[in-house]
Amino acid sequence: MDWFKTHNINTMKKLTTYIPALLLMLAAGACSVDNYPAPNAQLYGTFLDAETNEPVEQDIIRGSTIEFIEHGYASQTKQTMIIKNDGSYRNNLIFSNTYTITPVRGNFVPMTPQEVTVKGDTQLDFKVQPYIRIKEANISKVGTKIIAKFKLQQTVLNNVRKIGLYAHPEPSVGEPMRVALVEQEINGAIDPNKVYQLELDLPSNSNVLKTGNQYFFRVGGIIDAPESKFNYAKAVRIAL
Amino acid sequence: MRSLKKIISLFSVLVAMSCGNVLDKQPLDKLQGENLFSNPEGVKLYMANLYYQLPIEDFTFFRQGFNWNTGDPNNGGFAPAMVTDEAVHTEFGDFVGDGDFQWWDQGYKLIRDVNILIDIIPTLDITDDERKALIGESAFIRAYTYFALVKRYGGVPLITAVQKYEGNVEALKVPRSTEKETWDFVMKECDTAIGNLGDSWPAGERRATKWVAYALKSRAALHAASLAKYGDRAPISGTAADQKLVGLDKSAAAEFYKAAIDASEAIISSGKFALFKPNPSTPEEAANNYRLLFEDPNNAPEEALFIKGYARPGSGTGHNYGIWFQPNQTANGWPHPGRMNPTLELMDVYESYDKPGESAPITTSATANDVTDYTGFNASKQYKRFDTENDIFKGKDARMWATMILPGTSWKGQKIVIQAGFIKPDGSTQIMGGDPFTVNGKTYYTYGAADRTKYSGFDTWGGNNTRTGASFKKFLNEGVNIAPGWNQCITDFADFRYAEILLTYAEAIAESGTGDKVKGAKALNDIRRRAGHKAEIALTINNVIRERRVELAFENKRFWDLVRRREYHTVFNNTMRHALLPILDLRVTPAKYIFVRINVPRSNPSTFDYRQYYRSIPGIGANGLVQNPQY
Repeated sequence: MDWFKTHNINTMKKLTTYIPALLLMLAAGACSVDNYPAPNAQLYGTFLDAETNEPVEQDIIRGSTIEFIEHGYASQTKQTMIIKNDGSYRNNLIFSNTYTITPVRGNFVPMTPQEVTVKGDTQLDFKVQPYIRIKEANISKVGTKIIAKFKLQQTVLNNVRKIGLYAHPEPSVGEPMRVALVEQEINGAIDPNKVYQLELDLPSNSNVLKTGNQYFFRVGGIIDAPESKFNYAKAVRIAL
Repeated sequence: MRSLKKIISLFSVLVAMSCGNVLDKQPLDKLQGENLFSNPEGVKLYMANLYYQLPIEDFTFFRQGFNWNTGDPNNGGFAPAMVTDEAVHTEFGDFVGDGDFQWWDQGYKLIRDVNILIDIIPTLDITDDERKALIGESAFIRAYTYFALVKRYGGVPLITAVQKYEGNVEALKVPRSTEKETWDFVMKECDTAIGNLGDSWPAGERRATKWVAYALKSRAALHAASLAKYGDRAPISGTAADQKLVGLDKSAAAEFYKAAIDASEAIISSGKFALFKPNPSTPEEAANNYRLLFEDPNNAPEEALFIKGYARPGSGTGHNYGIWFQPNQTANGWPHPGRMNPTLELMDVYESYDKPGESAPITTSATANDVTDYTGFNASKQYKRFDTENDIFKGKDARMWATMILPGTSWKGQKIVIQAGFIKPDGSTQIMGGDPFTVNGKTYYTYGAADRTKYSGFDTWGGNNTRTGASFKKFLNEGVNIAPGWNQCITDFADFRYAEILLTYAEAIAESGTGDKVKGAKALNDIRRRAGHKAEIALTINNVIRERRVELAFENKRFWDLVRRREYHTVFNNTMRHALLPILDLRVTPAKYIFVRINVPRSNPSTFDYRQYYRSIPGIGANGLVQNPQY
C-alpha cells in the first residue's frame, strides 16, 4: 500500500503545478474580457386613460406590449416589455441611452413612436385612448352565481366583438388567464346606457371554482380591430 | 503523467493556433463532385441522400426536427400530435415552444445540396430522358424544401444556384423574398417537376413522379390559399409584415385555390389512383381495411402515391412508433410505452352512422349540459350504464376503432384494460387510486387488474398508462412484436395518399366556390363510403374539415391545418384537453360501466400565441435577415 500512497502524493504535487499552468494558458488564450458595464437605469410608468386619467387595465399574457429600440446600433432590434394587470410597467435593467418607444398591439388606439432619453430612474406614462371603458362595474356572489353588472362605453366606431366575465385564483385574471368564464358575443355597437349582465354558474364549474376558496373575477370586452386586446374593469376578490 | 503533459502541450499548441489561418484552405469539393457525378451510380447515391434529407413529416418527425432516429433518439415519445387537439402525452404538459418545429440550417443545407446537382445537370454525360428526369426530380426536391421553409417562416431567401465564397461574406447574404414570391416559387418548381417527371420509375423505385409532384403542388397550394383567405383571423404587424415578408393578400386566395383544384384534378382524372378497398360491406370490414392501410402502406399501392420506407431496424433506418405508443400491456419489455393518448376532443369528432354529417360527441347521461360538464363524477347524475367498456362507442365511425385502441377491445391477443376506478355499492367513489375492494367474494381493482402489466389506463406508474381513456393504434402493426430498443420499428409511411388529394380537392372547391361541386362532393363521399358510411352528405366546409380530422388523424396534418386556417389561437385559448373515464359501477348487479368526461388529469390549459404562426428566424445577427414579428 505504501507505494500507492507515494505515487498518489507525487501525482497530486504535479497536478497542483499543472492546473494553474493550464488556467494561465486558458486566460492568455482568450482574446478579450467582457468588461461591459451593467444596465444602469430604470424605466417605469403607467398606461393612463387620456380622458379620465385612470390607469388602463391590461393582461400580462398575450396583452399590450411596449416595443423599444435602443439608439446607436445599426441592428434596430426591437425589445419588448409586458405590462402588469393594473396598467403599470417597470424595467430595472435598462441602459442609459436614447430610445424609440412605442406601445403596440394594445387595448387602446395605436400610438406614434416617441423618442425618450432614459437616465437614472425615468418615469414615462402613456396617455392612451382605451378602445372600451367599462363603467360602474359591480361583481358579486348571488346565491350559486357570480353576477357581473356593468356599462360599456366605446371610444371608436369599430364593433365591440364580445364581453366576458373571467375567474382565476390569481389576481392577474383575464381572458387569456382564467379557469372559468362566461362570454357574450356582441359584434356590433353598444348602447352606453344599457346595463350588461353576465352570470357565472358556480355548481357547473365546481371542479375549478371550489367552495371555501377565494377567486378573482374580472369583466372585460374586446373591440374588433387588428391585434386588439381586452379592456377590463378592476379584478374583484370573492370568497366562495 | 506523461500523457497529461502531452495533452497540455497539445492544448497550448491548439490555443496558439486558434488565431492563425488554418481555416483558409482551398475547397476540395469541386474535384469530389466531378468524380461523383461522372458515374450514374454516383448520381443515384447523391439522389438517395437528397431524399433522405427531404422534410417528410413521418414517424421520425418531432418538434426537434426530422430523421429523429439516429444517435440518442430519446425524446420521451413526445409526438407532434400532442401539441394539437388530437392527443396528449401521458406525462409531459408541453405545448408549442418557440424553439420547436424549427428547420432552417438543415433546409438551406438541402437547398445547397440540390443546387449543386441542378448546376451540374447540363454537363452530365447522360441521355435526354435521364436529364429530363433529373431536372424534374431536383425541382421536386427544391419545391418540397421551400414548402417546408415557407410554411414555417413565411418569405425566405430564394437561393437558386450554388453560392461561392470569394472573399466577401456580404455577397452571400440574400434578403428574404416576400411570402407571396416564395409560394409562387414553390408553385413554379412543382410545375417544372410535373413537366419533366415521368409516370413512374422503371423498377418501381420510391422516387418522385409527375403524380407525386402534382400531389405536392395540391398540398402546398391549399396551404397558401388558406393563409390568404384566413390571414385576417390573426393579423400581425411589424417590419416583416410591412415588407410583406409574412402574410398574403386576401386576393391571392383565388389563384392558389385554383392551383390546388387543378393539381388534384390532374391526379383524380389520370385514373391511375384509387382508394384502397373503397366499398366495405360493414363498418368492421372498413375498420380492418383502414388499419391494413397504415400497418403497411405497401398493401395499398393504388392509394399510396409516395412512400418513405424504413429498410431495417437500426440507427437511421428504423423508427420508434412501435415502442413509444403500444398500450402498456403489450410493451414487450420496453420500459415506457403508452405515450400517445388520443383526446376526448378527437373521439367526439367521429360521426355516428345513424347521424351522418355531424360530430357525435360522447354522451354519458341524458343531462342537457352533459358534453360540456367536466366537473367530474356527480353522484346525483343519472349516468347511462353500459355492459362493456366500449359499448358507449358503438355505432361510431369505423376509423375511430382503427385509429385508437378503445377500452376493453382486443389487441395482440389480449383484452386491453382501461379503467379509471369504481363506484362502491354504497355510492362512494374510488377513482384513480385506492386499495382493492372486495364485495360478495369478488375483488375489484381501481385500474381493472391486480398486476400493473395487466392494465393500460390511468395509473401514473412509469407514465405508461393512458390518461385520456384510449390508447393509440394507427400505424402500429398488430402482428409484429417490436424489440424493446431504439429504432426497431420498420413500418413504412405514406407521405401522400389519394385520400388527402380528394380532401384537398373538396376543400378547395368548398372554400373558393369555384370548380365542379358535384365532383367535389363525390370526392368527399368516396372517402366516407370507404369508412362504411352509406348516406351521402353535402359539400360544406364543416363537412370537409371534420372528414379531414378523422381521415388524416395522426398523419401530422392537424398542426398545419390549425396554422394555415388560422384556427390555432382560437382552438387553443387557455384550453384544456379532455379525457373519458370508464368507471365500473358496483351500485348495480351485475356491475355495469359508466363514463365521466373530465379535464385530462394532471394537465394545464394551453394558449397559442399569435406570433407562433411563424417560427423565429435563427441567426439574424449573422445573416442580416428581417426577423419575424414579435421575436
